[in-house]
Amino acid sequence: MIELYHIWKQYQKPHWALSDVSLEINSGDFCFITGPSGSGKTTLLKIIFREIFPTEGQILIDGVNILKIPDHKIYRLRRSMGIVFQDFRLLFHKSVFDNVALPLQILGWPYKEIRRRVFNALRQVNLHHKMWDFPQRLSYGEQQRVAIARAVVNSPKILLADEPTGNLDPELAFEIMTIFKEINKMGATVIIGSHDRELIRHFGDKIFFLQKGKIIGKETKP
Amino acid sequence: MIFRQLSYLFRAAATNLWNFRGRNFISVLIISFSFLIIGLFLALSNNLTYLGQQLSNNLAISFFLDKNLNSEELENIKTQILASALVETINFIPAEEAFRRFAANFPELKEILDNLKSNPFPPAYEVRLKKNVTSLLAITTFIENIKRLKGVIDVQFNQEWVEKMESLSRIVKAIGFFLGGILILAAFFIISNVVRLNVFARKNEIEILRLVGATNTFIRIPFLLEGSVLGLLGSLISMAILFLLIKIFPVYVGSTLGAARELFALRPLTSEQLIWLIIGGTITGTLGSVTSVSRFLRV
Repeated sequence: MIELYHIWKQYQKPHWALSDVSLEINSGDFCFITGPSGSGKTTLLKIIFREIFPTEGQILIDGVNILKIPDHKIYRLRRSMGIVFQDFRLLFHKSVFDNVALPLQILGWPYKEIRRRVFNALRQVNLHHKMWDFPQRLSYGEQQRVAIARAVVNSPKILLADEPTGNLDPELAFEIMTIFKEINKMGATVIIGSHDRELIRHFGDKIFFLQKGKIIGKETKP
Repeated sequence: MIFRQLSYLFRAAATNLWNFRGRNFISVLIISFSFLIIGLFLALSNNLTYLGQQLSNNLAISFFLDKNLNSEELENIKTQILASALVETINFIPAEEAFRRFAANFPELKEILDNLKSNPFPPAYEVRLKKNVTSLLAITTFIENIKRLKGVIDVQFNQEWVEKMESLSRIVKAIGFFLGGILILAAFFIISNVVRLNVFARKNEIEILRLVGATNTFIRIPFLLEGSVLGLLGSLISMAILFLLIKIFPVYVGSTLGAARELFALRPLTSEQLIWLIIGGTITGTLGSVTSVSRFLRV
């Protein structure tokens, strides 16, 4: 369970990127955080995986206050998460295989198992034929799919995705969402920051509406 | 699991060394240049030390003895002289030998010598000091101690040489501490900044590793390995260049400096100095790398 209590975030005075955001996401939820550009979606996701700290407020994940975890132990939280970054954050000097394999290599998995998992993850995003290419030779949309494969490869407990379908054609966007749904069915909590209304309407079980850093509404499908 | 992780880290370090070969090559060049300067200074300082030792080789002390000493008393004085740690060799010159030497060195005075009724030359102990003895204080203390012994009537040694030698040695040491200190500090500063730039260029990689759940140690190890390899390569290359310089340098210096050539010659580094430079290079590369990475581990 992810609980956010009165989260405030200020990058620069006097503007607040987030103002008093409180929300609860249950384990196994498939939820969207939506809102126009600059509404605070990315900031909120970054706070959840603790890339940045809120100016004020508390966040509990499974009862643990993640703001209190010391820097050298934060890897434990991150290992339970899969993250699709808005800017993909791929390693351009490593092959697609090595990029996707990274979370597993960090855990010291056997190479055979890594190969199997990476191949499956890449097949899910329809990129297995480019396993040995380097990211700079891929299109923007393909790079995004590599980032998605990396986020799902270790079957995370929590999957965070910031505009994961922003550069994909509608067909592929639907396929990606289906992958996320499958991971969600296996028990993972999925949180997606997106402003794609079509996708949200089709897939969203729980939707939080953000505007100018404030939660202005919440919708839960029965 | 830990072996698989280690094997991954070693492979990652090797791949990174190759992938960033251009940048790494420049780092190695800068490291080797810094160590070359230190090496050059050491080679020059080795030469000055060597010259100092050459001077001390010429240093002989003659202790003139009473003619009437019996063999027991002579042996006693010899034992006292040899007891000093400064002494390399001791040679007894009987009065007859001293007379013969004088006659051989000054043949024009033969007539005067022939007219002498007795041998005026006293017997003596000729003492040569060890090569590494350069302290004037130690030498004068030694001489004073021997002079006080019964049967020693006079002492002769070239004090001017000793004084020159000591002041040269002092200058070499002072230059050594001053330049050596500055060079080592400067080299460390340059190297750690080069490595820091190298790490800075890869700060995205460090961030990504942190965000996908790598521990700090996992992130540090490849950088540590890369830093140590760069430092090691840099210092080895500087040794190779220094070796070539030592071989080639005298050819150029010989024709231009004339008599001062000896002073500016480069003497090869001792194996101890070589080992220290190599260890220094490796440690500098490693430390520079590790401290730089730490700055980016706060994501």
